Amino acid sequence: MLSVKNLHARIGEKEILKGINLEVHAGEVHAIMGPNGSGKSTLASVLAGRSDYEVSEGSVEFFGKDLLDLSPEARAAEGLFLAFQYPVEIPGVSTTNFMKSAINEIRAYRGQDAMDAVQFLKMFKEKMAYVNIDQTLLSRALNEGFSGGEKKRNEIFQMAVLEPKLAILDETDSGLDIDALRIVAEGVNKLKTPQNATILVTHYQRLLDYIIPDFVHVLYKGKIVKSGNKDLALELEERGYDWIISALD
Amino acid sequence: MLEKTLVDSIKTIDSLTQAQQLALGKFIDKGFPTSKWEEWKYASLKHLNEHNWQWSPETLPVDLPNPVWKHSAIIQTLNGNTHSEGALPLGIALLPMSEFMAQNPAFDSVWKARNPILDQNSLYDLNDALASDYAVLWVKNGVKIAEPLLHQYLVSGQLDTAVQSKLFIYLEEDSEITWFEQQRSESSHAILSNYVQEIWVSKNAHLTLIKDQDLQQSITHVDHTFIFQQESSLVDAFTFSINAAYLRNNLHFYIDGPQVVSNLNGLYIPGEDQLMDTHSVVDHRMPHSESNELYKGVLMGNATGVFNGKIFVRPDAQKTNAFQSCKNVLASDRATMNTKPQLEIWADDVKCSHGTTTGQLSDEALFYMRSRGISKATAQTLLLLAFVQQVIDKLEHEDIRAELSDKIVNKIQASLGLTLL
Ligand SMILES: Nc1ncnc2c1ncn2[C@@H]1O[C@H](COP(=O)(O)OP(=O)(O)O)[C@@H](O)[C@H]1O
Ligand SMILES: [Mg+2]
Repeated sequence: MLSVKNLHARIGEKEILKGINLEVHAGEVHAIMGPNGSGKSTLASVLAGRSDYEVSEGSVEFFGKDLLDLSPEARAAEGLFLAFQYPVEIPGVSTTNFMKSAINEIRAYRGQDAMDAVQFLKMFKEKMAYVNIDQTLLSRALNEGFSGGEKKRNEIFQMAVLEPKLAILDETDSGLDIDALRIVAEGVNKLKTPQNATILVTHYQRLLDYIIPDFVHVLYKGKIVKSGNKDLALELEERGYDWIISALD
Repeated sequence: MLEKTLVDSIKTIDSLTQAQQLALGKFIDKGFPTSKWEEWKYASLKHLNEHNWQWSPETLPVDLPNPVWKHSAIIQTLNGNTHSEGALPLGIALLPMSEFMAQNPAFDSVWKARNPILDQNSLYDLNDALASDYAVLWVKNGVKIAEPLLHQYLVSGQLDTAVQSKLFIYLEEDSEITWFEQQRSESSHAILSNYVQEIWVSKNAHLTLIKDQDLQQSITHVDHTFIFQQESSLVDAFTFSINAAYLRNNLHFYIDGPQVVSNLNGLYIPGEDQLMDTHSVVDHRMPHSESNELYKGVLMGNATGVFNGKIFVRPDAQKTNAFQSCKNVLASDRATMNTKPQLEIWADDVKCSHGTTTGQLSDEALFYMRSRGISKATAQTLLLLAFVQQVIDKLEHEDIRAELSDKIVNKIQASLGLTLL
């Protein structure tokens, strides 16, 4: 569903992604690991359409469409979802209203009728159970004054509501205690189907105990320098990144 | 000095009283405000020199839709002439100033001594010169009316028309009303709408004043609202400035007694080719009173906004609490906002604070929202509505709140749609 070829991206004069290649198919879980500053969040942001980054070379296809040509909102409507490493505070807009707007704009994009209040309520109730989130949090201004764990859980709740075809989770595990981590991981697992795919961005192996990846990639200085299966993550856990890096440098 | 051609046309008006002639002379000497005048720096009225004004407007019949919510009376001011549509509630009267003074002879000297701050306001002179006498809405002692009085202020004209209106609201002791004023226009021609509203709020009286300013693009509207508050009175004022090419609000509060509370809430949302200027004055002349100003602005397209908030705390006004906040969002690169808080404090035992901010919507927040499928225009609208909500929420009347809220949403959506083109 996703085909990234020789992707280069820069911010100002600084080149951050230096030729990324990545193929993701339906039903797969990919983990992207790598030390801090290697470009993981940049890759996630470029895929989601953040305009601060300039793509200088390469292509990205999503279900055969040129993803780079679409606005961020069109990418979402096409089925892409990014759980932010640092979810943004939206003053004065509750999660509930936020999601209603999102759902109905996506439905309009797809030529579907708007959902009415009753349908929303029913759907929301169902999805709330996935991540064990409660109504009071959803009525508050989105992410404003939320704890780290609440923000991450809310990201997964939004993912549950939007049912993306491809979800990119950027460090969704960081800052979570073990219980919260388990809840978030269970949520992600419940949302998995043979039709959708997940990219987990993380620099710990911890999350991968709960969500088993099919592929593990190591991103370093803007390139994928090694790929393997779940055993690679275990090896990284044991030996760190140095052995890969020193083999390169 | 007024332009020669306009002097010639304005001098053809006859049957002016001596006082009116005096005021007219002042207006002619000063002319329309220009950007060289300190208080009109960003809101010059030079464009008014380019019209061949009709100084004595006709009153055209109008057909304004009535609100769905319950109201206790409808009062109309059509091109400066005020009357009530149907009966007024018991204890409320509408009459000319001369009759009002005849029945309240003791008030005459108080009224003459009221002394508002006029600076170089030549429009007030123009109003004095050409407006017919004040219409007085008189709310008698202890009369409390729960349902709003609806005031329909309408200007119209089939030529370029200068309209002068004068209204005085007199609330006697312990009375209470909600005055909901719809300011509207009905003309494709240039209109100068020059409105003077003065309000006397006696001891223990309570006024809720709501102005819904939604005029056409051909209108220059200047609203002078001077409120004089006596001991233990309360005024909750709301100004919603929604549409007009040029909208100027001179809103003054004169606190003439202790234990007075003055709340000023305002929201201005100018879009393409619109200018909205708020000049507020809160003059604390007596001790133990409180004023709270909450203003918000959303500036879209190439709009210009001005906020000048003056607070005076006179030497006698010890134990005054005066707060002022003015927050603005520039929703377009082409919009500008000029803010100037001005505090002059002569008393020592006072609490005053003020803060003005002008910013833009956060790119981070917009990207986050768009990444969820919300279009840029909707994301902006949601953030802007959240921003203005605080002012709207202060309206207690549910139906009025809903009506204004819809109007504001529509305006913001329409303006953002325009800027996206
Ligand atoms: N907005 C930005 N401006 C300048 N440099 C940036 C910006 N965002 C990221 N970078 C730089 O790009 C590199 C990769 O960052 P990032 O993608 O956040 O890494 P990771 O998520 O792997 O920790 C880092 O060196 C970082 O400092
Ligand atoms: Mg990162």
